Amino acid sequence: MKKDTLFKAALAGAFIGLVVWGGLPLFRHRHHGVPIVKGPGVTAVLRLSEFSPGLKGTAGDTYVFVLQGKEPGGKALIMGNTHSNEPEGMLAALIFIENAVVEKGSLYVIPFFNNSGSRNTRPGDGYPLYFDVPTDWGSRRFRFGNRDASPLDQWPDPDVYIHYPDRQLLSFIDVRNTNRTWPGRPDGPLMERVTFGAMELMRREKIDVAVDIHGAETMFPVTNCIVAPEKSVKIATLASLTVKAMEGFENHVEASPAGFRGLSHREIGDHGPAMPFLLEAPIPFLDQPTGPKTVKFLLDGKDPFLLSLSRKKKLFVPYDESGWPLEKRVGQNLSVTLEIFRQFSKKTADRPIALRGVPRYADVVKNGVGRFLADPSKAAAGAVVVN
Amino acid sequence: MIMIAYYVITAFVLVLLGWNFVRETKRRDDLVLYLLVMIPLVLRLLRWK
Repeated sequence: MKKDTLFKAALAGAFIGLVVWGGLPLFRHRHHGVPIVKGPGVTAVLRLSEFSPGLKGTAGDTYVFVLQGKEPGGKALIMGNTHSNEPEGMLAALIFIENAVVEKGSLYVIPFFNNSGSRNTRPGDGYPLYFDVPTDWGSRRFRFGNRDASPLDQWPDPDVYIHYPDRQLLSFIDVRNTNRTWPGRPDGPLMERVTFGAMELMRREKIDVAVDIHGAETMFPVTNCIVAPEKSVKIATLASLTVKAMEGFENHVEASPAGFRGLSHREIGDHGPAMPFLLEAPIPFLDQPTGPKTVKFLLDGKDPFLLSLSRKKKLFVPYDESGWPLEKRVGQNLSVTLEIFRQFSKKTADRPIALRGVPRYADVVKNGVGRFLADPSKAAAGAVVVN
Repeated sequence: MIMIAYYVITAFVLVLLGWNFVRETKRRDDLVLYLLVMIPLVLRLLRWK
C-alpha cells in the first residue's frame, strides 16, 4: 500500500514537472512584451477597442499608432502581423512607426493586427518562440507568433466557419484567422471584432488606402505580389511597374477574387471607402518541404531543399544560394507601400499622402532591417509602448 | 459564454480523471495514461496553452 502511494506521488511529481517544463516557456512567450518606440512622427496612440468596444480588455485589442501630417491630405492605414508568422509585415510597420514623418495627410499603423496570434505558436512545426533582429546597438527581440489567434482567447472552433455576412463556408480554423473574418461584426467571435474595429476605423477616419502586409510561401502561386481588387488595381499596377523599373525588383499584381470572402483585399473595399492592397513577400520559412524551422532560416531564408526544388522549377519565385533574406522581404514591403502612396497621391491630387524618413528597398538590403529599428533603452521617457 | 462552458467542461473532466487516478490501485499503466490525458487539460485551465 505504501509502495503504491509512493509510486503515485512520484508519478504525480513527474507529471507536474512535465507540465511546468513544457508550459512555462509558452506562458512566458504569451506574456512577453515587445517595446515599440514612438518615432518623431507619432502624434497619438489609440487602441482598436475605441472603434470596436467588444475588444476592450481582451487579447484582441491592439495599438493603433497615428502619424498626423502638418498639412491636410489623404489617409492611409498599414497593418502588420495579420498573420503573426509572417514578421516582415510587422517589421515594415515598425519601421514606419519609428522613422516616418508625415508631411501631408495622415498615417495609421497597426503593427500587431492579430495581437492574440502573436502570442500563439505552432509547436507541431517546431516554431521558435522568439527571433532577434541584429541592430547597430545590439538586437531587438520579438515574439514569433502563429497564423491564427490563440485558442486561449477564442475557443472552441466551430466545425465549419460560416463567414459573416456572406455565409460562405470556410475552414473551421479560419474563425481565428484575421484574413478570413473581414468585414467582421461588433458582437461576433473575437477575430470578427478585431476586423470590425479596423473597418470602423477606416469608415470613421475616412481612410483612403489600406495596406495589409503579409508573407507567402515560395511554393504558393500568390507570392511576391500585390493583391488588389478592381478599385485598387490601377494603382497596384503602377506601383508594381515603378518598383520594377526604378528599384529593380519584381512584385507582380494578382486580382482579388470576388467569390472568395473574408479577405482584407476583398472586404475592405466592398464594405468601406478605402482602397485595399495586400502585399505578399516570399518567406521560405513557411514552405513545408524544408529543413528545421530555425531562427537563422527565418532570417536568411536559405534552405537546401528549396534550392533543389528551385532547380526543378517547382517554386513561384527565383531562388538561389542567397535565399530570400529578411532584408529583401521588408525592403520590398516598404518600397511597394511608399510607391502605392505616391501613385495614390498622383491620382488624387487633392488628398496627397507624403512622408519622409522611411527607407526604401536598396537601403534596407544594404544596411539591414536593424539599422532602422530604434533602441528602446535610449528612447525618451514615455516614448516606448510595450505590446 | 460558450468559451466559459468549455472551461467548465474541461475542469469537470479533469476532476474525473484526477478522481480515477486517486482511486486506481492496481493498474500502473492506467495511472500513467490518466496523467498523460490530463496534461492538455491542465495547460488549458492554467491558460498556458
